[in-house]
Amino acid sequence: MSRRRAPLAVLSTVIVTAATLTASTAAQAATTTFTPTADTYVDNGSTGTNHGTSGQLGVDNSPVKRSFIKFTVSGVSGAVSNAKLRIHTDDVSGSESPNGGSFRAMSNVSWTETAVTWNNQPAIDGATLGSLGQVVRNAWYEVDVTGYVTGNGTFSIGVTSSSTDGADYDSRESGSTAPQLVVTSGTTPPPGDPVWVGAGDIADSGSGDTATAALLDTIQGTVWTTGDNVYPDGTASQFSTYYEPTWGRHKARTRPSPGNHDYHTSGATGYYNYFGAQAGPSGRGYYSYDLGNWHIVSLNSNISMAAGSAQEQWLRQDLAASTKPCTAAYWHHPLFTSGANHAPSTATRPLFQALYDANADLVVFGHNHQYERFAPQNPSGGLDNARGIRSFVAGMGGAGAYGFGTIRPNSEARNTGTRGVLKFTLHDTSFDWQFVPEAGKTYTDSGTTHCH
Amino acid sequence: MDKRLIVTLAAAVLLGGVATGYTALSGAAPEDAARSVPAGAGPRLMVLSNGKLSTVSRSDPAGSREVTEQRCDRAYSAAGTISCLRPVGALKAGELAVLDSDLKELKTVPLTGFPNRTRVSASGRMVAWTLFVDGHSYAANGFSTSTGILDTKTGALVTSLEEFAVEGMPQRPVDTNYWGVTFTSDDNRFYATMSTGGHRYLLEGDFAARKVKPLGLDDVECPSLSPDGTRIAYKKAVDGDPQKGWRVSVLDLATRKVTELAETRSVDDQPAWVDDRTVAYGIQRDDGLNDVWAVPADGSGAPAVLVPEASSPAPIT
Repeated sequence: MSRRRAPLAVLSTVIVTAATLTASTAAQAATTTFTPTADTYVDNGSTGTNHGTSGQLGVDNSPVKRSFIKFTVSGVSGAVSNAKLRIHTDDVSGSESPNGGSFRAMSNVSWTETAVTWNNQPAIDGATLGSLGQVVRNAWYEVDVTGYVTGNGTFSIGVTSSSTDGADYDSRESGSTAPQLVVTSGTTPPPGDPVWVGAGDIADSGSGDTATAALLDTIQGTVWTTGDNVYPDGTASQFSTYYEPTWGRHKARTRPSPGNHDYHTSGATGYYNYFGAQAGPSGRGYYSYDLGNWHIVSLNSNISMAAGSAQEQWLRQDLAASTKPCTAAYWHHPLFTSGANHAPSTATRPLFQALYDANADLVVFGHNHQYERFAPQNPSGGLDNARGIRSFVAGMGGAGAYGFGTIRPNSEARNTGTRGVLKFTLHDTSFDWQFVPEAGKTYTDSGTTHCH
Repeated sequence: MDKRLIVTLAAAVLLGGVATGYTALSGAAPEDAARSVPAGAGPRLMVLSNGKLSTVSRSDPAGSREVTEQRCDRAYSAAGTISCLRPVGALKAGELAVLDSDLKELKTVPLTGFPNRTRVSASGRMVAWTLFVDGHSYAANGFSTSTGILDTKTGALVTSLEEFAVEGMPQRPVDTNYWGVTFTSDDNRFYATMSTGGHRYLLEGDFAARKVKPLGLDDVECPSLSPDGTRIAYKKAVDGDPQKGWRVSVLDLATRKVTELAETRSVDDQPAWVDDRTVAYGIQRDDGLNDVWAVPADGSGAPAVLVPEASSPAPIT
């Protein structure tokens, strides 16, 4: 192939409506460029081999090579008016191809770069985003992915080729020619929808609860807690010594749930006495309320949750009586977690099942002192983008941080060591989430999921 | 032994492979696929790639890797014996699986707790493990561990080192915990950590005699004996306080001289010797992925990533 500089090839179905919409609602547009958080390829000529650290991304039909690219989009506000994938062919002989490949969305965004092989590859199962014809060596190409990347979140793109003379692109390991996702968004006025913010595993003798309480000072809305409100034993004096001076100043707008440390005091009397009616009927620990278009249920994972138990029966009746189109629930012990300290609590599954049966949308846990976001899942932990419930572990409210063990399937984002609060904006038919870090820290995670 | 393990791991990949195409990941056990042994494969390192048993080339450990579908939360291997602490499943408690180099299951031992450490003696005969039973951190108060040893040759199984007599202590203190076994080359003596009264002593054990003997050295956790048998790499609590983290260090057994290695970050791992000059260990990132790092064993140099996105290193020799 010649070394001539290739023209920028642009493949796109221009989305006129998005551009028009942007013009009418946005004062200004912002463009942000993201590099992949993971990329790799698989090869059916070496089915057990992982190529995650390679500088190349191959696509070919003989031997079959497929490439996978993952981006995490964060910090984008307003509607996305344009998103394009930019990808660069390698500057080596043979990287050129008559067929640059077909680019498709993928539902699996939890694969890791150094574990994917031909044998265990994630399915390339989403909409076709575009395809590239002839590609030459050492050139940039673009694929319009506006239909897929609609806001903050994690996105996977799979690339295949029907040509036996495949193409080789530069991977994220290659530096300046790594793949890019260029996102243009308009700024929109802040919505007036209800804000629902909180964390679990909160107040102890350390300073973490002070840092997270300071975040609440600047965030309006209803405050939730996912248990272990105060350490070590949930006594009245610990509530007044540790919780009251920090999160306690937001008590009037707080709807808590109890954790195992709250139950170190027999019957969690310290918890029920401190929160009073805001914790629901005293001694029971489960209750519900509405916010805007949302029905919200606070549950108690320290008592029986079995199918047929009083709590599970109450939950099913409560959900059946709700007229709200969107539903959230929260409790302490996580059904889904990759934390190294506490294994998933399978005893909570009947509660998750009842919520799934009622088409609920969102569940938040605590217990492991860290942050983790899972894809929408069914009660067995299977990926379920149709009816699944998106879940979070939000145990970063103040207590000492925990590590992670083996990362579980469908885990999409994680952090330990950053205390913070998880802020939800509850729209009429969707919710936005945003991890808000303590002062001085930078980790964040945000996105949007639609209600069922 | 190297070559055979490489070949047989590849064969296991072959058996565990897939021929059904695109949707291989959806959960079912993969079927089969053909592959050949990587050309020019030399000595390798076994690691876990997010819980999957894998191998990388010793000469290019950050390069491509062979990934099997065998799941372990912690693993080690020596001389064709693989110890794999399998995770707790939906319907099944955790267990130790002893595998041969074909990944054929030779023995399983049901275990309760969170997998934490495992080790195989250099000959491949002796296997040890440590699990957390209560609590899940060596820095916490009130945790307890369970440490056991299996002799794969005789089948002798010690489910808890607490069964062993403690030399110099007619009555073993009730707060005793053991963790982090490493074996000597005679397949009988071993080293481990014994914790009691807020101290974490190095002990020497005698499997046949069913006894352990504290060596009078405090703050030696998760010992790992060098291939030449002269030194122990371990984690040493900073200022004697595990809550402050651990410094990876090397103890010369003859002189009792302690050398702090060049890694200054906290290391909570049982180190592994890649060779007589190099100590490897895992460090977790904020997002829960781990990297295997290596640092010279004499205190010189600087730590460097040996295998990115991996944990539980073991040289396959």
